[in-house]
Amino acid sequence: MDREILRRLEKLNQLQLTEEQKDSFLAFYAKQTEEMAILDSVDTESVERMVHVMPIYTVVREDKVIKKYSREDLQKGAPETTEGYWQVPRLVE
Amino acid sequence: MELYLAKQDGQKGKKIALDDMILTKDMPTTAGSKMLENYMSLFDAEVVERLTASGYAIGGKANVGEMCIDLLGETSYYGAVEGEDGTLMTASAMLVKNGEADAAIGLDANGTPRRAAALNGLVCIKPTYGTVSRFGTVSIACSGETVTVTANDVSTAKNVLDAIVGHDDKDGTSLPEEKCAKVKAAEFVPAKRVAVARSLTESASEAIKQKIADAVDAFKANGIEVVEIDDSLLLTAKNAWNILMSAELCNNVSRYDGVKYGYRTKNYTTIDELYTNSRTEAFGELLKTAILFGSETLSDYNYMKMYDKGLRIRRVLSEKFDEIFESFDAVLMPASAKSAYTKADTEENKYIAYDENLYTAPATITGVPAVIAGGVQLLGKAFSENVLLDLAKKLEGAGK
Repeated sequence: MDREILRRLEKLNQLQLTEEQKDSFLAFYAKQTEEMAILDSVDTESVERMVHVMPIYTVVREDKVIKKYSREDLQKGAPETTEGYWQVPRLVE
Repeated sequence: MELYLAKQDGQKGKKIALDDMILTKDMPTTAGSKMLENYMSLFDAEVVERLTASGYAIGGKANVGEMCIDLLGETSYYGAVEGEDGTLMTASAMLVKNGEADAAIGLDANGTPRRAAALNGLVCIKPTYGTVSRFGTVSIACSGETVTVTANDVSTAKNVLDAIVGHDDKDGTSLPEEKCAKVKAAEFVPAKRVAVARSLTESASEAIKQKIADAVDAFKANGIEVVEIDDSLLLTAKNAWNILMSAELCNNVSRYDGVKYGYRTKNYTTIDELYTNSRTEAFGELLKTAILFGSETLSDYNYMKMYDKGLRIRRVLSEKFDEIFESFDAVLMPASAKSAYTKADTEENKYIAYDENLYTAPATITGVPAVIAGGVQLLGKAFSENVLLDLAKKLEGAGK
């Protein structure tokens, strides 16, 4: 991990760190990767990945309308709206 | 510092404090973040509906650390909570401890509710993953996070747990009712054998070792066999969960972009500036660190050695617990390294929560139930809450 990779990560995640925070992050990342040796000490080549800790039962179900919110309700928390739409800066010139 | 970020007075029934990770339609939900300041949900979380249907009163929303991934709420945008002696406490633990709430409902993504309960001599139940609906909780690390109950005593914690356990169609990870019923069963089940996690205990402070020793004495006095076991494999849970939690968090908080709801910067002209400045101004440093770390674990060059490895370690740990629980009813271990923390600890190490989940990650990453009592932690096999609670009864009053 270097500052260039960190810059790309910031861009990807739409975040910016201060210079001091960048130094802290790099130290944190170095510690995490160093500690990962404990994971490498466990042979997992023949181990199947475990995404869910319990079996999943309700992924697929019939579609049905159970509650309906108005456009106004859904936009109550919006920072800015115009004529019933979320307002953002112009995307296309 | 206000313990409740929002209060609801005049209700009848035993009072419940909700960590501000639980959505409520009548009170704001902030997740301890500037991003969600004054955010109002359109609906109540399933646990809120179940609690009110069972006659409980919702006292209010307890202050939490930003997205509840920190040590003890120290990263809250609304301020950290400290006891009179200067030790860090979560707001919900303080509300329960001082009697302002009969119980608290939390979201355990990185061990915070369990840690807070252990440090304050409270009882906390992190039930088997999938037995309490997560519908209407602020999503952080969906594959391991669990709704928790904290109370002053075992019977209150059990009663509140029973009110919220059950299948919910709205949560895709919710288990069928017949599985949930095992947790809701009324009878406590006595344990015969308890294992003590050797390495985890040895890694803790002398004060914590003493709490473990006291618990061992209490169990032995009740005729329970106690045996120390090699738990070295459990030490991998911390780093594996650090990876999985951060990766899931990174995706879950990508929804906060300053467009549909939440904080929006005033400093933008383009859409990229709107996204970046909103998130940069609203998120705290620990959250930013977790997002960036999680994102990196999912990168094409790190995916196999970090995220994929974390998922495989999860299975190794799950199978290890299966093996342990063939011979033992519970595993006794610390819930924290020390018996108290102050702001100085979190200033010296801003990422201390990533170290302290050494003790909480084993239950989180595998989804097994964990109960805190007497300042120590007990883990059991899935749906063995009533075994753990029976053990917890033997520790009640200790650890305060």
